[in-house]
Amino acid sequence: MNAELPLSHTVGEGQGEGRHRHKPAIAHLFWWFMFAQGGVLAAILLPVHILIQGILGPLGIVPVVDRHYDTWANVLGNPLVKLYLLVLIAFPFFHFAHRLRYLLVDLGVPAARGVPAQIVFYGGAVAVTLGTIYILLTTVPISFG
Amino acid sequence: MPRGWWTRRSNYFWYIVREFTSLPLALWLLWFLLEIRRAQDGPSGYHPHSSLGFVIFSVIVLLFALYHSVTFLSLAGAILHFNVADRPIPSQLIVLSQFAAWAAASVVVGFVLIYFAR
Repeated sequence: MNAELPLSHTVGEGQGEGRHRHKPAIAHLFWWFMFAQGGVLAAILLPVHILIQGILGPLGIVPVVDRHYDTWANVLGNPLVKLYLLVLIAFPFFHFAHRLRYLLVDLGVPAARGVPAQIVFYGGAVAVTLGTIYILLTTVPISFG
Repeated sequence: MPRGWWTRRSNYFWYIVREFTSLPLALWLLWFLLEIRRAQDGPSGYHPHSSLGFVIFSVIVLLFALYHSVTFLSLAGAILHFNVADRPIPSQLIVLSQFAAWAAASVVVGFVLIYFAR
């Protein structure tokens, strides 16, 4: 974790006889939480999805739920599956956004530190989250059966 | 920093690789989102990806995913600190618990993906 994201800001420095007042940096807390949880979820859940749905299923080595419309649509209608897929897809993108932005910084792209880059990368993660919600809600109707 | 600094030492190189793992993982997840969206094509129009190119892409992404998993979960020993009866839990035990959680989650997810294919 290469970026400094302090969990509190010092405000009022140099004022009021040198007193320092700290307030919680809620935004930093939120982005750090999303970064950490996204990293954990990607680490724990993604390899098995890639192995089974990206390799073993397409090669026909094991039957996989997304290889046939009936089984795939049946699973996608389950609200718990929709929630799981939202977490699986959306959270890692907040992790990816942070890492890729700092990858550019490390590779000598100073513009990646700026506010426009932050809007692009973290806004991209938000856009993927909203797109995932839209797709999950509109592709297969919610079914409790 | 001079251009290409990360190619000068192997640990710098692997640090950059660790950061780069996000890109192939993001691409694979976008494909996955597409796979979900394709379910709206209906039974006659649904054709899951089966090409050799897609399998090769997934193999490459899996290597990056495994590298992300190993490096990220190994960090837990340095980040997480717990005390039990006023004694700190060894960092190796914390890392071991992370890898155990990874193994357990993989078994459960793998079982669901295969079991509900029937």
